[in-house]
Amino acid sequence: MAARPLIKLENVWKIYQLGKVKIEVLRGISLEIAPGSFVVLLGPSGSGKSTLLYMIGLLDTPTKGKVYLEGQDTSNFSEDELAQIRGKKIGFIFQQFNLLPHLNALENVTIPMLFQGAPEKERKERAENLLGSVGLKDRITHRPFELSGGEQQRIAIARSLANNPEIIVADEPTGNLDSATGKKVMEILFDLHKEEKKTIIVVTHDPKIADYAEEIINIEDGELVENHLTGSRVVWREKK
Amino acid sequence: MFKEYFKIAIKNLITRPMRSWLTILGIVIGVFLIMSLLSLSEGLKATVMQQLRGIGKDIVMIIPGDISDIFTTLIGGVELTEEDLKAIEKTKGVEVVIPFPYKGEVMKYQGDSKTVVLFGMDFKNASDVYRNDLAMDVAEGRWAQAGKRELLVGSAVPTNIFPGLKPGNQATIKGKQFEIVGVLKSLGNQQDDSMIGMDLDIFRQITGEKKGAPQAVAKIAPGFSPEEVAKDIEKNLLETVRRQRGSEERSFSVFTNEAMSGIVNSIMGVIQVAVFAFASIAIIVGGIGIMNTMYTSVHERTREIGILKAVGAKNSTITLIFLIESGIIGVVGGLGGIIPGLGLAKLIEFIGQVHPVFYIQASITPGIIIFGISFSFLVGCLSGFLPARGASKLKPVEALRYE
Repeated sequence: MAARPLIKLENVWKIYQLGKVKIEVLRGISLEIAPGSFVVLLGPSGSGKSTLLYMIGLLDTPTKGKVYLEGQDTSNFSEDELAQIRGKKIGFIFQQFNLLPHLNALENVTIPMLFQGAPEKERKERAENLLGSVGLKDRITHRPFELSGGEQQRIAIARSLANNPEIIVADEPTGNLDSATGKKVMEILFDLHKEEKKTIIVVTHDPKIADYAEEIINIEDGELVENHLTGSRVVWREKK
Repeated sequence: MFKEYFKIAIKNLITRPMRSWLTILGIVIGVFLIMSLLSLSEGLKATVMQQLRGIGKDIVMIIPGDISDIFTTLIGGVELTEEDLKAIEKTKGVEVVIPFPYKGEVMKYQGDSKTVVLFGMDFKNASDVYRNDLAMDVAEGRWAQAGKRELLVGSAVPTNIFPGLKPGNQATIKGKQFEIVGVLKSLGNQQDDSMIGMDLDIFRQITGEKKGAPQAVAKIAPGFSPEEVAKDIEKNLLETVRRQRGSEERSFSVFTNEAMSGIVNSIMGVIQVAVFAFASIAIIVGGIGIMNTMYTSVHERTREIGILKAVGAKNSTITLIFLIESGIIGVVGGLGGIIPGLGLAKLIEFIGQVHPVFYIQASITPGIIIFGISFSFLVGCLSGFLPARGASKLKPVEALRYE
């Protein structure tokens, strides 16, 4: 890989000790993600792909091994420093949308900016623009329970972009959506990658999603089994 | 930023209205108790101190017995003898000694008979001291003359004991006719305001009380220090006892006005601490309620905490949001408790004015209100601290996976 990796994992292990049983969720994973790439972590349920994504997104720390972000070893960072980096450089999209239920769409999108200390006016303007860009301009005062799954996921995408992060990590972003809505969501992500040069890392067990990727990383039983470039974009394949 | 966190906290509280109000109610009850009791005890202290302020600075009080055993003295009938009074009078710096004898007797007034407390007053030697140093002023009528069957009555007598009583009217005590000549201004407490004062010699004749008195007051001559004279009085009294009765052990308590104020202050202080301690139990229970609510809230919102952390919230931010929530519960509970608490204190004061069984004043000052609000806020924050810290320590990934 020519460019300096944006994210680098070096022999990363995640081991849970449940009583006397040791569960090795990740087993010595090493990988590099270049800036501006679109990577799909593909693997069956229980393969450890979400745990790997959380490591990449600095939401979790490895039991062994190191995670580097822009060449910096993150294992020495405090919880607050990690929170600060997450807020600034990484946007998250989850299968369950994970919006704050008591806040409306606009407030949900402003929250990451609030933690970065952005002034109120700027927060509001940017959140309105972002919601507009995902087609939810007329839904800004709605609370999550008043919206469909697709709309909620689009709010989550808008939220993930709040602080204009370089990296977007998405954990099964289409997992709770029907096929057509899922396609829309993936296209938004793809556009972000193409037009804004965001680094997108998506976890899925759905091979259809993998068609969007430039790079697919296959994971099984906590190990990296295949890592190859797909070459070109494959359009969304409808279910037959 | 704080404003936004405050908004988030409010929204969280509003989302669970029943639980929030019930938790607030716990604090309301605690603050209600503290406020009413503190207001009344503060009022009581103010009343007593006001009475003491009415007494001149060059007045010394003499009570037989040790002050640490004041109840034995009051109940056991230990008295100052005539010799004791003479010993006080002889002390250098004492201008005049006023004995304070009293006795319960039946007084008849216009066909109505009631038991009253009679005071023997030394009109011959000490009229000026009563009026200038002991704050006994005539509100209506005139001051009594020495050696005559005249009565001075407290301000509560015409209102509560013999309604409609007026100077110039006659009353009968122990078969003897007396003329009521004056009504005194209020002395600040129901007991003193219910007194009937008469000439000391006549008091002794009709009650058959031997010479001496349960207590006495000495007026200090100008140019002498009340503290020094008080010490000399005590010394003289003890010497008299030794000379006259040999081995009999007696003790005396001699106070200047200032010392008395100090004693009252410290007694009232102890009462207030006790009152506060008891009422605090109620507020602690309220605080435990807040803690319970906050722990439940953290438990329920584990996933939300995970989301906040994922999008960049620091541990301190999570702590702050939860602390604001518990602080709001505390302050709202405090405000809710202060109003009925002080209302109850005022009601008790009002009842005290209508029914003269007890006289108590409610003290409502900005200080007591500020104290109530800050105290309840503090209880809210302290109770919320552990749950808030627990929330902030959650690992983001574990919180996000929490079902």
